Amino acid sequence: MTVANLLSRISMSRLVVHAPAFIVLWLLLSRLNVALDPLYSYYLALVAMYATAMLGMVILVGLSGQVSLGNGALMAVGGYVFALTSLNWQTVPFFGWPWNGTWSMVFAAIGGLIVGLIIGLLGARLQGPYLAGLTLGIAVGVPAIANRFPDVLGGSQGFKLTVPYPEGGYASEPAQSETTGVSDEAALDEALGLAPGDDGGGSASAVPEPSVDSGDLLTLDDVQGGASAVPEPSVDSGDLLTLDDVQGGASAVPEPSVPPVPSEVAGIPGATDAGASTLDAATGTGLVLEQWQASLAVAVACIAGFVALNLVRGRQGQMWRAVRDDPVAAALVGIAPGATKVSAFVVSSVFAALAGAVFAQILTYVGPGAFGIGLSLSLLVGVILGGRSSLVGAVIGAVLIVGLPEVVSGLAGDRGWPDQVANNVPNLAYGLLLVLVVLAAPGGIVGTAREWWARRRGRPTPS
Amino acid sequence: MSTFLDYALGGVGPGTVVALLALALVLTWRSTRIVNFAQVGQAMFTTFIALAIQELTGSWVLALAGAMVAGAVLGLFVQVLVLRPVRRSDTSGAIIATFGVLIVLQSLAAMIWGGDPQSFPTPVSNAGIEVGDRVWPISPYDLLILGTAAVLVVALTLLFTRTGVGLAMRATAFNPEVARLSGVRVGRMLGLGWALAGLVGAVAGVLVAPSATLSPNSYDILLVFAFTAAVVGGLDSLVGAVFFGVMTGVILGLVTGYSDSSSAPVAVLVLLAANLWLKPEGFFGRGKARVV
Repeated sequence: MTVANLLSRISMSRLVVHAPAFIVLWLLLSRLNVALDPLYSYYLALVAMYATAMLGMVILVGLSGQVSLGNGALMAVGGYVFALTSLNWQTVPFFGWPWNGTWSMVFAAIGGLIVGLIIGLLGARLQGPYLAGLTLGIAVGVPAIANRFPDVLGGSQGFKLTVPYPEGGYASEPAQSETTGVSDEAALDEALGLAPGDDGGGSASAVPEPSVDSGDLLTLDDVQGGASAVPEPSVDSGDLLTLDDVQGGASAVPEPSVPPVPSEVAGIPGATDAGASTLDAATGTGLVLEQWQASLAVAVACIAGFVALNLVRGRQGQMWRAVRDDPVAAALVGIAPGATKVSAFVVSSVFAALAGAVFAQILTYVGPGAFGIGLSLSLLVGVILGGRSSLVGAVIGAVLIVGLPEVVSGLAGDRGWPDQVANNVPNLAYGLLLVLVVLAAPGGIVGTAREWWARRRGRPTPS
Repeated sequence: MSTFLDYALGGVGPGTVVALLALALVLTWRSTRIVNFAQVGQAMFTTFIALAIQELTGSWVLALAGAMVAGAVLGLFVQVLVLRPVRRSDTSGAIIATFGVLIVLQSLAAMIWGGDPQSFPTPVSNAGIEVGDRVWPISPYDLLILGTAAVLVVALTLLFTRTGVGLAMRATAFNPEVARLSGVRVGRMLGLGWALAGLVGAVAGVLVAPSATLSPNSYDILLVFAFTAAVVGGLDSLVGAVFFGVMTGVILGLVTGYSDSSSAPVAVLVLLAANLWLKPEGFFGRGKARVV
């Protein structure tokens, strides 16, 4: 038996072991999702979405050693491609398959691949700071790009999405949370206005104004031009990691980290009347919107986790690590360092784009405010805290990013801190933790735990 | 033609600010081979301090001086407390740590001063000067910006070329090991480099504050402009940073004038991407940017 034969056998067995494991994981999470209160399904959806993006970040930052701030922007690529391709899915069959979210997800992944390839070719072969700077520019520039091409990209208002509810039905409202009871779908449809961009004015349409304008040196006034109905960002906080504050109160956009999310739409007339229609009577699948969103996010995350695990444990993962640790030595054994770095960037872009498409469906909205620099930074924070060279670390990071603001704001509420302080405590904690982890425990939670475990068993630390 | 001139000249003032921030980035890069992504965060923070001093005393000069001191102290703090302890083997660690500092500074500023955009007064008029029978797009305030920047650049040049400390700093930037063997206190020089960068950044922050509203993250886009200018200039070159900083401002002025201001960040991104594609080591740089 040749060595190659043996290797292929091992990699086959890896697939054989991993696939059922992920199917079991998916089934478990799906079961959990149905059993949960819709509010927790919403959190589950967010965690799965962040985990998808962070798996890509682990490959990029941890395994390939490239710090990128652009994955939030690549999520925007995924979200916008999804939004633009799905706007008319209900009429057009595509290669025999009904045009639905699945196709748009595929297109989002392709979009992420193309954009990731371009950015990767430009930046991945350069020294670390160049890539970080380039991707930071893209992350900060996303709102500017959306503003520059308002006809195509919807400007600062973005697009509202109608999510492909199960069975192809429509339920375009960001559904209700446990507090406000049930909303009347028709009224909401009317109130929200399904057509993109027609939501000028009114308290329900407080679409976040991207903060990029304010840094604009030359003419601050021009940008605002027509969009005067859009409130200025009353940013009570640095808004680094959460969207809450940018959106200033009554936002039609569900916010990723606040529990009573969709209920903030309560300003909409008719949103609270007639708690009659049951959560999902229209659809007949037994899933409420949040649960459907979570099932989508979980499925995507499981697929991403399966792909990532096989890549990381396989040849490709070895190549990434080899180039990260010593490009010259890697080149000597026949690995092309440039191509390997670019490949890591492309893989992580595809993951980010998929996560972005899921995010768009969770928010039922795409817009520059949702995909700002804060999103990119939160991805970085999550991955570093969880453990930058571990896929499990990505999942832990996702839980932290979703959970920590809730815990902290709960604590701050109990202590009666003023909003201005309380809103910024999570960000402050993230920043301090980021620095502390880099200084004291570069492996993050998972890396440190592994180190501890290895020391206890008297083995050398795995890298 | 005169519109072209107007647009281009209108970009000189903002471009000078970009140049100063690019200069700050280059100073930290030269001394420690780290791009300080927290630089604009530091500038934002010290500008808030300057605003507080301005409101307390009513003196713009005092506010500027206070910001400069605060900027130098903050730069030194960040270098000593955060960057120096980063493990050598952790190549990504320094970049990530600077982002951590950025997040901390922005959330602290939001806690202390709130998130609402605040306006910053100008010490002199910001209206265009009338010379001949036309109004030029240069205001007395722009001239003040230019003058302040010129003083800073000349002072830095003298420091680097005419003093022992400057020589020691250059030696440290060129080769830390050899400098240490020659008796240079390398650690102090690195701290001094960051303190100088913090000071320059603080001046830029105060100067730009009247034309950009001041809020915890209103300076984010400036980092992109400054990074672009520094990279096109070579990331290693003080002259390059200043020259391309001003050029970036002029380009922004032209793009904004002929198109609109939403095009400006896009144009800068295109410039950065084109530079990284065609000439990644920049125009004044000596280092190698592309490693693999």
